[in-house]
Amino acid sequence: MPHLAIDHLTKIYERGKVLALDDVSFSVDKGEFLVLIGLSGSGKSTLLRCINRLIEPTSGRVFLDGTELTALPQRELRRWRRKIGMIFQQFNLVKRSTVLANVLAGRLGYVPTARTLLGRFPREDLERARRALERVGLLEKMFVRADQLSGGQQQRVGIARALMQEPELLLADEPVSALDPATSHSILKYLEQMNRQDGVTVLCALHFLSLARRYGTRIIALKGGRIVFEGSPSEIDDAKFKEIYGEEAEQVEVR
Amino acid sequence: MERKQSRSRSAEQPPIPLTARVLSFFLDWSIWGYIAYGTVYLLNHYWYVAYIDWYGRLTLPWWGWPVVVIATFELALLSHSFGHSLGMRAMGLMPAAEGLDRPALRKRRLRHFLASHISIMPLGIGVWASPSEPWHERLSGLRLVRLPQREEWITPPPRWYRTEWGIMTLAILGLTVTLGWHVTGIHLRVLIAGAARPARLWQGLTHPDFTFLIYSDPWLNDSIVGALIESIFMALLATIFGAGIAFVLSFFGARNIMAGSLPGLIVYGLTRGVFNIFRSIESILWALIFAVWVGWGPFAGTLALFIHTIAALGKLYSEQTEHIDPGPLEAIAATGGSRIEVIRYGVVPQIVPPFLAFTLYRWDINVRMATVVALVGGGGIGRLFFYYKDQLDWAKVGAIIVAIGLVVWLLDYISGRVREKIV
Amino acid sequence: MNWIASLAPRFAAAGRRLSIPLADLLVLAYLWAIGTCFTSFILYGEEAYLLVPWWVMALAVVEGAALWESFGVSLGMRLFGRWLSREDDSSPSLGQRLGYWLSWHLSLPLFPLSFLDHEGQTVAERLTGTVLREPPADAPRGRWYRTSSGWAILLILFLTSGAAFGITKVNLSALIKGAPKTAKFWRSLASPDTSILTLGLKLLLETFFMAMMATVFAVVIAGPVSFLAARNLMRGPLARPVYFVVRAISSLTRSVDAIIWAIIFAVWVGMGSFCGALALWIHSIADLIKLYSEQLESIDPGPLEAVAAAGASRLEVIRYGIIPQIINPYLSFTLYRWDINVRMATVIGVVGGGGIGWRLAAHLRSWQFPEASMLTILVVALVWAIDYVSARLRAKLA
Ligand SMILES: Nc1ncnc2c1ncn2[C@@H]1O[C@H](COP(=O)(O)OP(=O)(O)OP(=O)(O)O)[C@@H](O)[C@H]1O
Ligand SMILES: [Mg+2]
Repeated sequence: MPHLAIDHLTKIYERGKVLALDDVSFSVDKGEFLVLIGLSGSGKSTLLRCINRLIEPTSGRVFLDGTELTALPQRELRRWRRKIGMIFQQFNLVKRSTVLANVLAGRLGYVPTARTLLGRFPREDLERARRALERVGLLEKMFVRADQLSGGQQQRVGIARALMQEPELLLADEPVSALDPATSHSILKYLEQMNRQDGVTVLCALHFLSLARRYGTRIIALKGGRIVFEGSPSEIDDAKFKEIYGEEAEQVEVR
Repeated sequence: MERKQSRSRSAEQPPIPLTARVLSFFLDWSIWGYIAYGTVYLLNHYWYVAYIDWYGRLTLPWWGWPVVVIATFELALLSHSFGHSLGMRAMGLMPAAEGLDRPALRKRRLRHFLASHISIMPLGIGVWASPSEPWHERLSGLRLVRLPQREEWITPPPRWYRTEWGIMTLAILGLTVTLGWHVTGIHLRVLIAGAARPARLWQGLTHPDFTFLIYSDPWLNDSIVGALIESIFMALLATIFGAGIAFVLSFFGARNIMAGSLPGLIVYGLTRGVFNIFRSIESILWALIFAVWVGWGPFAGTLALFIHTIAALGKLYSEQTEHIDPGPLEAIAATGGSRIEVIRYGVVPQIVPPFLAFTLYRWDINVRMATVVALVGGGGIGRLFFYYKDQLDWAKVGAIIVAIGLVVWLLDYISGRVREKIV
Repeated sequence: MNWIASLAPRFAAAGRRLSIPLADLLVLAYLWAIGTCFTSFILYGEEAYLLVPWWVMALAVVEGAALWESFGVSLGMRLFGRWLSREDDSSPSLGQRLGYWLSWHLSLPLFPLSFLDHEGQTVAERLTGTVLREPPADAPRGRWYRTSSGWAILLILFLTSGAAFGITKVNLSALIKGAPKTAKFWRSLASPDTSILTLGLKLLLETFFMAMMATVFAVVIAGPVSFLAARNLMRGPLARPVYFVVRAISSLTRSVDAIIWAIIFAVWVGMGSFCGALALWIHSIADLIKLYSEQLESIDPGPLEAVAAAGASRLEVIRYGIIPQIINPYLSFTLYRWDINVRMATVIGVVGGGGIGWRLAAHLRSWQFPEASMLTILVVALVWAIDYVSARLRAKLA
């Protein structure tokens, strides 16, 4: 049984009648590092958000470890969401809160609401936050407000937040689009580390093919909401590339 | 205290300025003074311990005053020695003593408290004599240091409501609300029992009588629409002319423009002072003054709004001018622009959108104020309102309130939309 | 359902077409009204709005709008960013314009026809082969003072302020002649009557607490209610009506000045500072709801998404996604409102709301200027101090 299975997923945005995902099906095994590529507007973000149902798909099903996520009631869904970490292009940190508060937010699915509303996280969670921040090298920024950090540092806080969830699956929506090449590599190395050491399955949307080739174990390309390519990184040649990105596109190398 | 110590990697710090020390102490002293006043007021309210006469004078026995002064002083000293007081927190300071266990710390605090009497009580001699480390700090080893920056924290700080200054803040807030409750004479019972009293008023308000919406009331020779138009035009005139004059004056009230010469600074201070004073007197009071001056009528109301508009907008404008980005000015000066060109192409484009936004905002306020300046003789819709109110003709009052509500809301909405477009 | 949805863009297109002539008619009618008002004031020195029979005015306004829209770029067209052109973006010929003008008169009565068209084209456009559409990006743009709309706006401003002089009965000679009457007031500002200092201080304290109580209790109500008035949080068939009702009530309440509320409460609970506090309270609630909810509408939705993705419940999303974003702006708005409340509290007494205002107004009315000036000085001092404190605290929160 695959770890994650997507079955005929379709999403139509009500506003504007955009067909963002058109009958997408694929499956992911445990421990894979799957990279989603495709032009802007091809539906990568929509796909990732349909998996943890931040966006409700129009039709189709999503299975995680054999459980149909798309059929779960809200309360159950929250229990499953904590197994699915998520990292965002715009980091999505609460800018006015401290780094620690942002990281602790990753535990919200575990700690009872009555406790979290008073801001009283268990001691182990504070320890866990410390370890997560240590892992991304931001321990000394623990009490700094998030808006005082650079972009790369903010994304590392985002990773630490996902680490707090102790996820089995990590969804990363263009985690490095807002960052410079060198920082991009350092961020993706953390994802690779999570993938290799902790055995977290990673689904990562990326813009640069070079990054996709370097980190992905498998690549899925979307175009206009459909899967136009599925296979290993080495299989993408020039013709394939032109098919995915259009005739005029040039490959840009990111080192 | 141990916890607070460990929360920062303390580094070498520059000495704390004398003003911060003195201010933090006086803040604490006045806070205790306020608490004392509040306590006496409440005691008096419940048990008549001290007497506050009809004129609000607090009457204490002859020895009462020195006792209060000395007691609050002692309390301020205590809070300075035995905790992290609100005064310290407000000035960004905290007490520090490295590596002490509890009994030792307590002893040290006691020493700090006692030494303070020698060092502070006689006109603060110990502080003046050695400002960087006053006598009581040297004797006790308990020093005031700056609050650590967030980057320096290594453990979470105690939650604010569990610190001494947090508790003090809560106490003050609680005291203020309790005091306010008595001073403003809030009686929920009156509110509930009286709910039936304005029954006729509600009746009238919910069944508005629009007889004179368009046709003039023969007594007043005015209709609701006519009076509303009058009010709107009062606001309009006051806003347009007030904004014009405020625009000119605002440059005299902008520090970055007036700085550079002594006369300039004096003009700046004067302008700002006049703005502030005139702004503090509400339009209604101005209307009272102008009613004496030019007689009752819309002109008095317009003048009142006009004066208040000049002062309020003048302040907003000059603050905006002070905050302009100097970059573009430099760029234009660098291309060889003259002073006029710098203002025309560097300053004006930066200030026009916010100025317009402020003016529209002021226009909203003026419309609302124009509906009430009539109370003291300012003309406009308020004249009808107060006339019918005195006649106890609540149905017509209701009609006027509905009309005012709708018109003010509509104008507010329009100017809000325009403001969105501008900014 | 689908059928209704497909109608919506048609309504929007037709509505946009209709707004242009409506705006022009309104503008011209206003110009006419204010113009007659202005001339009658200049010529006869009295107020009058219509100097000719109403149908003459109606005719002139309608014809004016028709001509303006056919032969120029009217204000309405500018407001909605449209102009008249041929299919190929070139300017219509004079004949086409004449035709457009003649058939314009048909467009309004036959307007329902344009609902049938998905572009909302009117009869006049159909008949003359022109279209009303957005000018191309490279269209030449005249300076504003060379356009008819620019002139129209200038004329409106000029006539309005001219007429305003008449309507508000500006009387400069009274301003000059009356000045000596207030001389006594200015003189006594320098020599205030200090014997009422203690009384004044007590009243000042009362004023301060009035504002304080009104603010504190307004926050208690406005804080939670503001969530109901935030468009972005109130989605869904049940929430939307609630949003509209809360918004409507609060903005209507806000439009009625606190002084008017004080009059209502004076009937209810009797005169005194309780009445003033209640009036300020009601007005502050409405105002704070507006300020707060606008803040809520401008929060960053990203963190909410992130917190929800971690498995947070709805309450936790509010606690960890929303509240940290709004807490400082809320505090800052509260301080701002507190400042305003103190100002208002100084005058709410004029109608029996208690505090210093009542006494001050009484002294001013009975021309007891030394007492009045003493109280004025106290008011200025209090307002100034609170203004300073509130501004300093707000700067810290930013
Ligand atoms: N909330 C929305 N409402 C309507 N349409 C939307 C919405 N969000 C996305 N879309 C549309 O859905 C399509 C897919 O968008 P999506 O954000 O998934 O693309 P993407 O591949 O992530 O693009 P990018 O690389 O720019 O992030 C686009 O055509 C977009 O315009
Ligand atoms: Mg995307």
